[in-house]
Amino acid sequence: MPRVRAVTASFRHQFLHFLADPQWLIPNVILPFVITMVALIMFESVQEGEGNFVLYAVLGGGMMSMWGNTLYSSGWSIAFDRWNGTLEEVLATPSGLVWIIMGRSLWNALIGILNGVLILVIAVVFFEVDLELAYPILFFFAFFMTLLSLSALGMLFSSAFVLTRQAGVLTNGLEYPIYIGTGCMFPIALLPFWTNPLSLSLGPTWGIDAIRFGALEGYEGFGIGYWGDIGIMFMISIAYLAAAFYLFGVVERRAREDANFARH
Amino acid sequence: MFTYIMQGTRVFVSSAVLAKRALFSWLNPALWAMQLFFMSLFQMAFFVYIVKFAGGEDIGIAFVAVGNAIASVAYVAIFSVCNITGEEKQGGTLTPLLATPANRMAMFVGRAMFQVLNGIATVFIALFYAWAVFGVDFSMTNWPALIMVVVLTSLTTVGFGLMLSSFGLYLRTSMVIANIFLFIGLLFSGVNFPVTYLPDYLQPLAYIFPLTYGTEAAREAVSGTGLIGMADLLIAQMIVGTIALLIGYLIFKLFEDLSRRLGTMDKF
Repeated sequence: MPRVRAVTASFRHQFLHFLADPQWLIPNVILPFVITMVALIMFESVQEGEGNFVLYAVLGGGMMSMWGNTLYSSGWSIAFDRWNGTLEEVLATPSGLVWIIMGRSLWNALIGILNGVLILVIAVVFFEVDLELAYPILFFFAFFMTLLSLSALGMLFSSAFVLTRQAGVLTNGLEYPIYIGTGCMFPIALLPFWTNPLSLSLGPTWGIDAIRFGALEGYEGFGIGYWGDIGIMFMISIAYLAAAFYLFGVVERRAREDANFARH
Repeated sequence: MFTYIMQGTRVFVSSAVLAKRALFSWLNPALWAMQLFFMSLFQMAFFVYIVKFAGGEDIGIAFVAVGNAIASVAYVAIFSVCNITGEEKQGGTLTPLLATPANRMAMFVGRAMFQVLNGIATVFIALFYAWAVFGVDFSMTNWPALIMVVVLTSLTTVGFGLMLSSFGLYLRTSMVIANIFLFIGLLFSGVNFPVTYLPDYLQPLAYIFPLTYGTEAAREAVSGTGLIGMADLLIAQMIVGTIALLIGYLIFKLFEDLSRRLGTMDKF
């Protein structure tokens, strides 16, 4: 129960932070938004708005938006504590840091859904994209599961952010590699063959494949079907979470031993 | 007059030197090198693969690779420079800094000078990737013209970044505005598609960004055009960059006076 209380308290705290300073939503969504617009213009010029290219752009944009939010939030939640001088207090509480970060990640995930949907709405309203979903329920389920997988990945990365004061640099540096690795706007078959194991080890790669299954009639993807994608993504996400719990324990202990929590 | 110029020069040089020292006392050099060598590669790769997937005729791999190589300057020339005032505010050093009688233009332009060099290095590394990884043909390139374009783009984009930085004096944080303008160039500056692809009413907006002239001039230099052939673009870029810098200075003075009057310099 104390852990659940820590998660809910940190969720509420993150929500209040958001209300106090909602402008931080902008950095989270600006890159995915711009990339989606760029891709839509590029694809439209080629395909005159027809075919799967536009849907790839829109669905990829939704996923990127969720990743942008997750990465930014997980990276900066620790950095803000460091800036504001609250990191030592947060770490001095009896609750493990991982539970506090989990509460924050859940709030960020909720905002991530809004970001993702916002991209879809902009594409439909302003670019008149025909977003006709083949299987709406499966689509939204995959969308939600992908978000959870992204959050798990964000938690994994955020453990590293405890040790560094350069979370901003890492955050900026991790956006494009994940966009490329997951093939969110193009099939990963286009990437060099040696990168495929890396791509397939990312949960969101399977998530975006499942999202495309839900959106496109007759989509074949990786050939293991919608539920195959969801199952693999789920297992990878569990592995991320397990690794995040272990790493948080390690970095928290190390940070206490080195006594350099608030060094910046 | 001579004393005034000498003081300004001293402030400029010491600001430039201090900015570099401060950067590396804060930022791990390995992370800086990672940013320098890899961020442009991933950005370029992402858009190149989109082009490969879409398979367009007007927009080829070379178009996108060169455009993104030039646009890679934005990470340092816009993002880092825009955050100068915000970071002073965050670090609690803004008030003592502005309590000095030092010339503001010399101080803040000096602070940004390292980023000009950083920007030039970033773009040349990105151009190397365009050739080595994505097979862009540089055999026709007019190198003096390309070097001039890269230097000028870095200088003028830093000028644009300084203009944005002046808003950081007023805003709670400059990071939001830095993020917006870091990426907005990808949409407006002809980085991934010609400016003419934008809706008619948005096209004039493209020409307020120095980067727009830089990407167009760089493509011309790569296809063999010399400095004289692209003089109009470079002159326009210089004018836009200089105007941005002057506007930035005026805004900075305006907000400095306002914050002195209201006593809100460190409010965030």
